[in-house]
Amino acid sequence: MRSWRRPIQFKSIHTKIALAFSCLILCTTIILSYSAYRLSTVAVTDTSLEYTKQLIEQVNKNIQTYIGNMESISALSLSNADLKRYLALKNPEGTEGVQLASQISSYFHAIVASRNDIASIVFAGSNGAVVSERMDANFKSYAELITQEWYSKASRNNDDVAISPSHIQHIYKDEYKWVVSISKQMPNPLPGAASGVLLVDLNYNVINDLCNQIQLGQRGYVFILDQAGDLIYHPQQQLIYSGLKSEDIPTLLQAKDSTFHTQEKEQSKIYTVRTTKFGWKIVGVTYAGDLSGNKKDMQLTSAMWGGISLIIALAISILLSVTLTKPIKQLEVHMKQVEKGNFDIRVDVEGANEISKLSRTFNLMISKIKELMNQTLKDQEVKRISELKALQAQIQPHFLYNTLDSIIWMAEMGKVDEVVTMTSALSKLLRSSISKGEELIPIAVELEHIQNYLTIQNIRYRNKFTYAVEVESDILSCRILKIILQPLVENAIYHGMKHLPDRGHIRITGRRIEGDIELKVMDNGVGMSEEKLKTLMLKTRQTESGKGFGLHNVNHRIQLYFGELYGLQFESELEEGTTVTVRIPAIPPIHNDSENEV
Amino acid sequence: MRLKIRASYVAIAIIIVLLMTTAYLIVSKGMEAKDRSIILIPKTIDPHVEFWRVLNQGVTAAAKEYNTEVKVMGTPSESDIDEQIKLVEEAIALKPKAIILAATDYNRLVPVAQRIISSGITLITVDSGLEGGISTSFIATDNYEAGRKAVETMRRYVQGPAKYAIVSFVKTSTTQLDRENGVRDNLKNDPSVQILDTLYSNGYEDKAYEQTKKLLAEHSDIRGIFGLNEVSTIGAARALKELDPEHSIKLVGFDSSMNEIAFLEAGILQATIVQKPFNMGYLAVKTALQVYNGEKVKASIDTGSEVITKENMYTRENQKLLFPFVEK
Repeated sequence: MRSWRRPIQFKSIHTKIALAFSCLILCTTIILSYSAYRLSTVAVTDTSLEYTKQLIEQVNKNIQTYIGNMESISALSLSNADLKRYLALKNPEGTEGVQLASQISSYFHAIVASRNDIASIVFAGSNGAVVSERMDANFKSYAELITQEWYSKASRNNDDVAISPSHIQHIYKDEYKWVVSISKQMPNPLPGAASGVLLVDLNYNVINDLCNQIQLGQRGYVFILDQAGDLIYHPQQQLIYSGLKSEDIPTLLQAKDSTFHTQEKEQSKIYTVRTTKFGWKIVGVTYAGDLSGNKKDMQLTSAMWGGISLIIALAISILLSVTLTKPIKQLEVHMKQVEKGNFDIRVDVEGANEISKLSRTFNLMISKIKELMNQTLKDQEVKRISELKALQAQIQPHFLYNTLDSIIWMAEMGKVDEVVTMTSALSKLLRSSISKGEELIPIAVELEHIQNYLTIQNIRYRNKFTYAVEVESDILSCRILKIILQPLVENAIYHGMKHLPDRGHIRITGRRIEGDIELKVMDNGVGMSEEKLKTLMLKTRQTESGKGFGLHNVNHRIQLYFGELYGLQFESELEEGTTVTVRIPAIPPIHNDSENEV
Repeated sequence: MRLKIRASYVAIAIIIVLLMTTAYLIVSKGMEAKDRSIILIPKTIDPHVEFWRVLNQGVTAAAKEYNTEVKVMGTPSESDIDEQIKLVEEAIALKPKAIILAATDYNRLVPVAQRIISSGITLITVDSGLEGGISTSFIATDNYEAGRKAVETMRRYVQGPAKYAIVSFVKTSTTQLDRENGVRDNLKNDPSVQILDTLYSNGYEDKAYEQTKKLLAEHSDIRGIFGLNEVSTIGAARALKELDPEHSIKLVGFDSSMNEIAFLEAGILQATIVQKPFNMGYLAVKTALQVYNGEKVKASIDTGSEVITKENMYTRENQKLLFPFVEK
């Protein structure tokens, strides 16, 4: 029932300690692992962004180098004297023109042959002159060439270099090559000469390879934009043209050299932008999710280390709780033994901690209990003996013989009435003594017993004394130890009356006083000297029971039952008489004789 | 007491073992997930066929973007149907995440494709589908729509009543059927238009050339010709170059090649409808992964087509389609 109400209940301290430790350790480990993971994530992210930035910077430098080279090649080519002369010709198709064209061509060829990044060098003059590094170039028509973008753009740009986006070069018939071209107008041609445009084509392969080999995380990539927002290079150019993918080109065109995040559907991209001298933007794209590839590793690592330290800590906590609770358990085992009644054990005390102090106190307690137990056993023994003695006092054989002798004597004398009185009193006396003995009896019963006793003694001593019993009726139902009064009355008769020349008087009184009951047995007999009284009192107080000394036994019994506060008191004066006072606590009657209650 | 301590040691040991096992399982599961790849079975791995090389580029781009491995298994020739069936069997044995198949035969690959599906592997068809459309998704050019575009383009060059001819390749090819239907359906509602019976080159350029020559001889009033694939277009263009020096007969073709570009520049070929193989490859991988991850996908995805003319052939977008940059 109980376990049903509270299914999880940790009864042992051992479990509680272990549990408390475990919770504490668990929380700490989780917090530590998580913060370690967070810190390393940030660190890794920063590092990879920095790395990306460096890579982009590298690409930027390489591209600038290529374009720079192309520019110097174009400058070099344009400064060729043959070219200037060729441009100055009215008719480039003439023999001189053919001659010059061949020289220029071999000059261009020398340049192209020395480099594998340059696809071709072409010059087209406004006088109709067209020459390239190929001797037998199969050009498209002159009219078509000069409408092409490289030519028109350079003419418009005057002295500036025009850089094209990546495109198909179609100056030759049936030849389509991916290139990036720069074109430049001939500066200050010879006077009277036509102007012209020089085209230098860079193999697109160069840029493609350059960008392609850059690895930015698992999925990251590099792309290049020109000033107009056209893609120079993008690994997924087709997808962008088909609208299947997009890059945030307007933002990128605005962006200075920086790093920024964009959120795209479910994944966020990190753009790292670097602008070249001539206006292209090199953009590195890393996926924030890629860092989370590393993140997963880090999560795993921190979870693993967290788990390992957790296991170790848990093991330690369990061990610790076992060690802590071990002495308590030991103590518990010893207590169980005590419960079974073995008081002879001692707990081995080690150290000075709380539990060993507890053990020490426990040991002390056990020894005290043992002492008290022994004391109680002894008391019980004494009680039993004194009770036996009381019974003996009740039926002292010579009292019985004397009484029977008196009855015989009285019968011989024909004192029938007295024989009857005595015999009936004796009979009652004997009956009460064999009656099943309860230690505590109502005062009324004790008084009845003393009446019978007094009746017998009064007849035996031939009316040597008179007696009176004056007990307050409200205490009659209170209880008293049995056979308390008889020894006192016996003493009064034997020691007070027997040697008195006149007739004596015995008076028994009883009253309630301050919640106690006080019974007095008074006689006006011979009394005692002060010295004798002292001896008597001393004997009464002695713990060792004197042989056949009734008063001592009575006092001892009272004190065993009710404590040191109660007992007998004596007052005596020579020739005046003796008073013995019995003081007992007022014990209310037991329930079944409540009829006597007032 | 001692027994209890021992019990707690045992408990600790068990916990440690359990945690280690769990960690190991998580790690090894993570690795296993990455090991399983996607298998692409194109019609051919012949490096001279540009279409498949570009499609492959799209596949590679998607594989990088979605961080998955793609294995390519293909036959040297497009006509090797039995060999492709064998390759599909091999692919099934490798238990990939998905198989992307460009079927060399509309009917004959159906049984083996059924086996892919029954082994619980995602099947995506690309470029050429299968009878019954059994794949989860079919990623290709909408050829019927491409046929419609061809008609639309032709109408820009030829107005009024006219007689047209169609030069096609293989009669049973779904690609050709869709294109032809696209062309015919969009022309037939004009009563002034007459369409001659379709000629089949069976994939031979010379046959297309001969057939076109014969056709031109028989019908001098033809105003436009549709060439339904590269070979047919080139064959027809060669015939036109020879017999129609004034370029009065207009030709609209399909697909792209250096020869077609030359004819385009020469003004013999007015326009060509090109597909987008890069997108096909990219979308095939993307779709396969979506299916693998339990997302819903469309049963057929049109990757689109572009009309290329002499005027627009050098625009930035079309350059990429017409002259795909293929790394050496």
